[in-house]
Order: sequence, then structure tokens, then C-alpha cells
Amino acid sequence: MTRKLTWLATSIVALLLPVLCGYDRFILHVAITITFNVALATSLWLIWTLGFISFAHAGFMGIGAYASALLLTKLGWPMWAGMWFGAMVAGAVAVLISMPLMRTRAVYFFMASWAVGEVIKRVFAYYRDFFGGWDGIFNIAPPKLLLFGLEIDFASRIAYYYLALIVCSLIVLAIARLNASRTGMIYWSIHQNETLAQHVGIDIFRHKVICFTVACVFAGLTGALYAHYHTYINPKSFDIWKSEFALVHVIVGGLSSIGGPVIGAISLTIVDELLRATGYFRVIFFGVILIATVLLLPGGLETIPGRLRRLMKARKEQGG
Amino acid sequence: MQLLTIDHLAMQFGGLVAIKDLSMTVEAGTIHGVIGPNGAGKTTLFNAISGRHKVTKGRIRFKDKAINGLKPHKIVAQGLARTFQHVTLFKDFSVLKNMMVGRHLHSGYSYWGALINSAGTRRAEAENATRAREILDFVGLSAVADDDASSLPHGHQRALGIAIALASEPQLLMLDEPCAGMNSDETRTMIELIERIRQDGTSIMLIEHDMKVVMHLCDKITVLNFGTKIAEGTPQEILKNPLVHEAYLGTSANVA
Repeated sequence: MTRKLTWLATSIVALLLPVLCGYDRFILHVAITITFNVALATSLWLIWTLGFISFAHAGFMGIGAYASALLLTKLGWPMWAGMWFGAMVAGAVAVLISMPLMRTRAVYFFMASWAVGEVIKRVFAYYRDFFGGWDGIFNIAPPKLLLFGLEIDFASRIAYYYLALIVCSLIVLAIARLNASRTGMIYWSIHQNETLAQHVGIDIFRHKVICFTVACVFAGLTGALYAHYHTYINPKSFDIWKSEFALVHVIVGGLSSIGGPVIGAISLTIVDELLRATGYFRVIFFGVILIATVLLLPGGLETIPGRLRRLMKARKEQGG
Repeated sequence: MQLLTIDHLAMQFGGLVAIKDLSMTVEAGTIHGVIGPNGAGKTTLFNAISGRHKVTKGRIRFKDKAINGLKPHKIVAQGLARTFQHVTLFKDFSVLKNMMVGRHLHSGYSYWGALINSAGTRRAEAENATRAREILDFVGLSAVADDDASSLPHGHQRALGIAIALASEPQLLMLDEPCAGMNSDETRTMIELIERIRQDGTSIMLIEHDMKVVMHLCDKITVLNFGTKIAEGTPQEILKNPLVHEAYLGTSANVA
């Protein structure tokens, strides 16, 4: 019940946000950043349901971003084509890379995925003629849409906010659906006991590859949206730091349900923007928040309602 | 009818020879015991049959089809399920959910069907839930169907391990020490359960250290020592076999 109400309230606030904030450009910017981070953290969490933590996730976001940006700057295709293309390229690379990657486990997977993330970034930086090197790609125009004779220019932050909100919501919904279905049950069963999962007839390797790929497709889609919003990307936009921030979002929010990455990404993006003035210190703040969560609030922000309920109950029993 | 045929099986891990040149058959409808001292290669044999370990040499045939080299999930699909020596469950799931995962092969599962929750998926899952509850009833766990698997007492966890294997509806069920760590009450319940599984038409391969259990249940027994078969026959024959006394029970053992 509380859960449904929270989702409803979040959706209403998200829908009315431009009005609520009086079309404030900065708040809209933060809101758009939140949608990107929610999509990234949620798709990273999808890999976690298998029991894996990927440090390559921002790299796949970068693949989607670069693919869509190049399609526009080199061939003149609009983002409407580019975002799907970017998602597909990220997915194709994910299939190829997850074949060897998903044969590793635990700490070896961390290291291997870390290397993959780093290699993706370096590839963007190294091939300067094609990817623009460390300077990146400029002038990635946001799309326009002709709807019933009315032209919507997504250079407007309000329009872009709604676009990002729709795509982000679809990603979160798809992952929620996947997680609630037998697919989610299979992923969690692999997470808990790979050997037993195999011996009840589950093709664990196939599921690992598909899960990783689906998550990377979503990351690629997010990347395309990111590129056309900022109109400028460079390899550093998609480095390990980005993956790590997504991981912190997931851990602080909570790992056991999809509410975790959503609430984690929303709250920490706001904190991040508030701390922007402190420059590099914000990384330290993030470290402190992460450690504080693990020590003081194991299970993350998503456990707060349950904790409060138990506290109230204990109070009541004491009083009565 | 021969259900399972093992021809000149060898299992080697680096320099360690766990099984060398083992041949045996399991007849349909029987309970076939596999006994031997620690390190004789019993569990390795199960791991080889179930596809958990790669077979070094030799052939394993199930229902006249070669199964060595197949991945575990393919072997289960042939109708050959197993349990594990240590309690092996999905501990964070409820008992019923454990069973639903166990029903995987009968769920008609596809990514797309699961995602859109199609009519076919809903029908299959409803059937699975019914069948899962029937099996839980069969092993005596229907009262705890909604409890967490990790909260069950040891005997129930063992029974759930078997129920998960049964959920795939195997023709041959391999039980790796089902009575390990059980008190005599739990052991009695387990013996009775194994007998009922056989009566239901499932053949059983059984590794067990508890001699009373083995002698009581098995139609035929294969004795392993240092990775080779040293004896095979009915419980009475095995009890009389001097080689078995020497290798397995010790030379001076006094077996009643």
C-alpha cells in the first residue's frame, strides 16, 4: 500500500514538476539529470539481480551516446533513429563482451568489467578522426518533432524533460515487469545458488548474457538521450566514475527491490547538485554517504518505511 | 530395462584420479545404492552423470542416449535430476517459490511470454503452482509452503531439496546422502519418502553412509573404493562379500 502510494506520488510530482518549479531552468536541468541517473542505476540494478556488479555500465551508456551522436553528425540522422541505433549498438557490443565476461565470477568479474569500461573509454579517446579523441563530439542537436502541425523543439528544457521522463519511465517499467515475471525469479535464483539453478534446468549462461545485454541496451538508450541533451560528449563523460556513482546510487537506495535504485538515484543526484559548489569535495561526501549507509542503514533508503513502521509498533507496545 | 548405462568412466582432476574405469547400469524401477568409504568417488560419479564435472573418459547413456558432454540443464531436461550432499536451496525464497523455480522445465518459459504475462504463461504458471503444491504435499511440506526456505528445520530442508528435484518430474532421481545429519525420526520419514518416490515410478540412485538405510532400501548396491568398483549385487550379497568387508567396513569389522 505504502509502496503504491509512493510510486503514485513520485509519478505525480514528476509529471507536474515543470509547473511546480515555475519552469526554473536549473531545477529542470537537475530533473533531467535525475531521469538519466535513474535509468542508469535501475539498469545497473538489473545486472545485480543476477548477483553481478558491472563497472562497464557507463561505458555502454557511452556507446549509445557516441553511436547516436555520430549518426547525427556524420549522416544527419535525427535522434529518433539514433537512440534506437545507439541502444542496438550497445546491445551488440554487450552480447560479444558478455560471452567471455560472464564466464568470470565475483571479484574477477569486477576487475574484468572495470577493464571493459576503461577500454571503451580509451577507444573513444584513441580514434581521434572517428570519435573526436579527448575533445569529443560537438553540436549534437536535440531532435524536433512535428505533432499535428505543431513543431516541438526539444532544445527547450521543458520538452526535453518530458521526453527523458517518458523514456526513463519506460525503462523502469520494463525492468520492474521483467523482475516481477519468471525471468526475475530466474535471475534471483541464479543470484542465490547457481549450481542448483543449473540443476533444475536453467541455462544460466544464456540468462547471464541476455540479462547483461538487456541492461546495456537500456544504458545505451540513456546514453543517446544524454548526448542530445548536453549536445556535447567526450570520453570522460562515460568513465569509471560514472559507473561508480551509479553503483553508489544503487547501494544507498537499496539492493533488494527496484525502488532502491530509483530512490537512490533521485536523492543522491539532488545531493550531488547541492554539493556542486564544493568541487572535488563532493566525491568525499559521496564516500561518507556510502559508508554511513552501509554502517547505519544496511539495506539502504528503501528500508526506511519498514524501519519506521517497526519503530512505531515498538513505541505503541511500550506505551500500551 | 536399463535406464542408465555407464561405460568405462574415468574422472581425473589434474593428477588426481577420482574414478578409473567404472562400468555399471541402473535398472528402471529400482533403488540402486552407491556406497564406499570417504573419497571413493561416489559424489564424483554423481557430478559426472549430472554434468557438473566434465567426463575425462568413457560414456554415460541415459535411455539409450549419450549424455556425457551435455550441460547440467540439458541433462535435467532428459529426465535425470539430483540432490546435493549439503543442503542446497534458494534460501531467500519461500518454499513454494523454490518449487516454482524447480518447475522451470515445465513452465513453457520464454522471455517475451514472461514479460507480457501472456495467457499461455498465466495458464502454465497456474498449473505449475498446483503441481508444486501437490509435490509439497507428497513430501510432507504443504503446511510450510509459505515459509522462508531458510527458516525450516534440517529435515524439512532436506525434504525440500528432494521436492525441488522432483519438481522437474525426473525418471531417475539421484540422491546424495539424503539422511546426512538427521536424527532417527527424520531418517525414518526420509526412508518412507524414498520408498514412496519409487512407488510413484521414479527410479533412484542413492549415495548413503547409513548402512541401515542402504540395506533396507536398495535393490542393488554398487561398492566403490578408490574410484573403482569392487563389488556389486543385492544387499545380502554385499553383506557377505569379503572384499567389501576388507575395503569398506575394515578387516576386523563385525557386521551383523
